[in-house]
This record gives sequence, structure tokens and C-alpha cells, in this order.
Amino acid sequence: MRINPLPARGSPLGRTFARVIERRSPRLALAILTAIVLIGLLAPLIAPYDPAAQPDIVRMKDLPPSAAHPFGTDPYSRDVLSRVIYGARLSLLIGVLATVVTVTLGVAFGAIAGYAGGIVDAVMMRILDAFLAIPRLLLLVAILAAWPRLSIGALILFLGLTGWFGLSRIVRGQVLALKHAEFVTAARALGASRRRILLRHLLPNLVSPIVVAATLGVAHVIVLEAGLSFLGIGVPQPGASWGNIIRDGSDQVAALWWMSLFPGLMMVLTVMTLNVLGESLRDAYDRSW
Amino acid sequence: MTAAGEAMTAGAGSPIPLVSVRDLRTWFHMGGVVARSVDGVSFDIGAGETVGIVGESGCGKSVTALSILRLIQPPGRIEAGSRIEFEGRDLVTLGDEEIRHIRGNRISMIFQEPMSALNPVFTVGDQVAEVARIHGGVSRREAWNRAVEALALTGIPAAGDRAKQYPHQLSGGMRQRVLIAMALMMKPALVIADEPTTALDVTIQAQILDLLVDLQKKFGTSILMITHDLGVIAETTSRVIVMYAGQVVEEAAVDELFSKPHHPYTEGLMFAMPHIGRELERLNVIPGTVPAPTDWPQGCRFRDRCPYSWELCEREHPPLYQVGVAHVSRCHLAIEPERRNHPHPPLVVLQGAAVA
Repeated sequence: MRINPLPARGSPLGRTFARVIERRSPRLALAILTAIVLIGLLAPLIAPYDPAAQPDIVRMKDLPPSAAHPFGTDPYSRDVLSRVIYGARLSLLIGVLATVVTVTLGVAFGAIAGYAGGIVDAVMMRILDAFLAIPRLLLLVAILAAWPRLSIGALILFLGLTGWFGLSRIVRGQVLALKHAEFVTAARALGASRRRILLRHLLPNLVSPIVVAATLGVAHVIVLEAGLSFLGIGVPQPGASWGNIIRDGSDQVAALWWMSLFPGLMMVLTVMTLNVLGESLRDAYDRSW
Repeated sequence: MTAAGEAMTAGAGSPIPLVSVRDLRTWFHMGGVVARSVDGVSFDIGAGETVGIVGESGCGKSVTALSILRLIQPPGRIEAGSRIEFEGRDLVTLGDEEIRHIRGNRISMIFQEPMSALNPVFTVGDQVAEVARIHGGVSRREAWNRAVEALALTGIPAAGDRAKQYPHQLSGGMRQRVLIAMALMMKPALVIADEPTTALDVTIQAQILDLLVDLQKKFGTSILMITHDLGVIAETTSRVIVMYAGQVVEEAAVDELFSKPHHPYTEGLMFAMPHIGRELERLNVIPGTVPAPTDWPQGCRFRDRCPYSWELCEREHPPLYQVGVAHVSRCHLAIEPERRNHPHPPLVVLQGAAVA
């Protein structure tokens, strides 16, 4: 008998990923996203100025783009380019960390409901229905408005706490579908415990849909955070996020166009690349089953 | 009546059987309706013996297999009074933790569909090694080495490389070898093989059966071979249990069963098998289908499809009659054997004709 050469990527997630980067637009999206992440990570090295420094609040405020300040300055004489660069760091950080909270809660809740089944599942799902009935933005506005001067850590926590309901449903549905799969019965026949079956056999089969949901979730949180910051209840000053940079120039949008254009562009670019990536991950995942 | 007791079996095995199933009843309770899929089954399996259970779809043979390992999920339930004795313990009343130590360790199972019985996201080596991790309490590395050894034992060439592959990268025969490696990893006392070759090509089927018989000789394992294929039965087993409508209808040594089938259902199964040298325009079929497990008929459950049935069969549910040495049959022909010479069209055929 002849042995076939081992394909480079055998694991399902590996196969999904390989299929994603086969195509051009997700490859481009991945490249752009990598660049934005690098900008965020290396912000202190790249940014020409301190993003919070106010060198001359009278003579250097509201300057249009120039060689010294490519993205202009804001009403407090701060360099907008530096703030946009640091904004990348903060917006991505909030997006990723809030999504970590979301995924943890969503997977745990959904997996337990789906695997337990019966009355436990029914009760947990009704609780979820109740949560889903509350509009996320409204809830966040209420919490954040009632709680002035919230730290960024708390902001991340609230963004995460309000975002896991949808994922929970996906995970619960998948666990429900998989728990009667023959390989689960086979694992039981080999003496695997319930805990082991859930953690070792069911959850690893859900990695692909979770990755898809998380990718789209990061984009969603970034937009949400920008919206809250624009309303003045998100990232507190003098911290820089794309949302509060736009807010700083919102009094005179037409005159200080550079203050909304550049952070806005960055945000659109980030969210678009994340969505393209998420969608093609989903396509690749759907095709691989 | 010369009937053997309900709980009695042909019992040709060793004096103290390895497994002793007594009056096993596995019922499914579905909103007021009860499906009595397994309805009072008793049999023994001796140490090192291969016993076959044969029957058509829906006769309860797979549910019997799953019941032994207590893998029945709600709404299914093993009813009180059923007993499955194994190594001095009753598996029916064993605690969850204790039955877990028996599964995969003392009794293991080989499934019909090797592709769906393997987890698609782990390498096959990982999955074989997991058995040793669960029951052996060995290190990751040690478990992996034992997995590769077990894979090699089942005749997988270059087992070390194959172990790193995922199920979808292996052929059907290879996957079934992986499942066999998993089942035999802990050298269990009993392996339950549920249609182990049904999903495979005919040529591969023979290889897999040879492998099973080989490994059985090596380890002295008992095998419970569940199949609808009399060919598999003839090739591997020493004793056969024929199931119909949730019950044992005949049990005998394999030679005896093939040379002198007693129950009309067994007879029908034999006629339905193709034979070399016998010219037939078409294969015989048993007319009709198995009745629904929610509604077993009164009297003999095979009555409608039987060419010999008479008034007694409607009135009285037949017990297991002793019809030979270690040979029992659930058919009233045991007391009126001359009726075998006067077959008639079965009731289902007559009714079908009346409707048409």
C-alpha cells in the first residue's frame, strides 16, 4: 500500500484559512488589517507627536493639514495624525478585549444550555430572549450615562457583557446539533466523561463558527465604541479613540473637515476589512462541511 | 408444554459466562406511546466466544448492543427488572462513574460508520491515544506511543505517519482499522461490533473481519457481532441469536442454525440469501415488514408473515422451545412439527390480495 503525501494543512481550521487566503479580496483585507494592527502596536514609534500634548492652544489650534501636521491639529492644538495612530491602538484593543469577553460568555452559556438540554436549556434560552429584547446601544447609553468617568477597563467589560447573546444562540444550536453525532456516542462508548465530551469533542468542532462570529464581532464593537465616544460617554479625554477625535471636531464639521475625514477613513477601512475577512471565513467554513 | 423458561437461553458457552443478559427490556417512552424496541431479551456470551445477533432493521439488535454499554439516551430507558451481569456486577444498576470505567476499558464498541464515529477535528492518533488517557492514566507521550502501536497492530502501514492524519485523509477501511485500534486499546473482555463492515467495500469487508478474528485470537476477547448479514455470521461466529420484533426468536450453534433452522423467520432469512449453484429467477423475500415497536401484535409477532401460522399462533405468544441440543426457538411448530409440511400463503399476502 502506498502512503499519500501528507497535505500541508489537515486541520479543519487550517483548511478553512487556506481556502480564505486563496482568494484575492480576503488576502488584500488581511494585508490592510495587518498594517492597521501594526500601526496600533507600534504607535509610540510611529506617531510624530505625543497625542495628548497641547503645545500652544491659541496659535496652533485648528490647523489644516500641512507638512508638519499631515492630518492637521484639533481645537486643543493636538496633532491629529498622532491621535489617529494612537486611536488605532485603543479602538482595536477595545474591540479585541470586548470580543474576548463576548466569546467567553457566549460560548460558555450556549454550550451549557445546548449540552444540558431539557428544562435547563429552556430556562436559559428564555433568559437569553429577555436579554435580546433590550437594544444594546440604548442599554449601553443608559449604563454609561449613569456612570460618569468610567475607566476604559469598565467600558470594555460593559461592551463585552452586552454582546454575547447572539453568539450564545449560535453555539447552543451547534452543540444541540452535534451532541447526537455518532462520534459523541462513540466517545461515550469509550468512557469519556460529560465534561471531556463537551470540552474535547464538541467545542473544538465549533472553532470555525466562533472565529467567524468573533471577527465580525470585533468590527461591531469598534463601531459601537466610536459611536459611544462620539456621544461623549465612551473613551474619556485625553485618551484618543477614533470616535472621540471625530467628536472633537464635530462642532465645525465643515471647517475642520480633517478631523472627521481621517479617523473616519481609518474606521471604515478597519471595519470593512474585518467584515470581508469574516464573510469569507464564513463562506470557506460553509463549504468545508 | 415442553417450553423452556422465558429467561432460559441455549447457553452453550462456558459454565460461568462473561456476560449474562437477562430479560433485557429497553423501551422508548414518547409522549404516552411506548416503543418496546427490546422486549425481554436473554442470552449469554462466554469468555473468548464470538456470538452473533442477526435480524433485519428495527428488530432491536442495535438497541440491545447500546443497552449493554448503557448508551441509551432519553426517551429510551432500560426497564426495571432487566439485568446485564458482567464480571460479577449488574451493569443496569451501576453508577455513572462506574459504568464509565467499563466503557472502552472492559467492554468496547466498534461502530458501523467509521467516518461519523471519528471526530473530524482531531488526528486519528489523538483519538486512539485518548482512550489510554481516559483509562490508563498515562502521560501524553506514553499514550501517543501506545496509540501508534495499536494502529500498527491493526495493520495500518507507516502507523506513525498515519496517526498524524485526520479522519478525512484516510480510506474507509483505514478508518475502520482506527476504530478497531481504539476498541482494542485497553484489551477489553468484550468487543461489541455493530455492523462493523456494512459501510465498507466487499473486499475490504473480508480484510476487516479477518483482522477482528485475528486480534480476538491474540487477546482472547469475546465478540458480540451485530449484523444483518448471514455471511458475516457464518464467517466469524460460533453461536447465533436471531432477533425479531424486539425478542430472541431462535438461538443455536452456527452450524446447527444453518443446517437446521427451526423458526420460520430464520428459515426465511436463509432463503433470502443468494447461494452459488442454486438457480433462481429472483431471491426469496419474506413478505411484509416488521410490525411497529409501539404496537407488537398479540400472540406470535411473526404470525402475519409466516407460511405456517395457525389459530394457536394468534391465541398464544410462543415461549422459547428447546428444539435441539443448545438450540431454542420461539415457534409453536415445536409442538406440532407436521404443520411444516403444509405451508400456506402468509396473512399479509392474503390480505394484500383481498385489498387488490
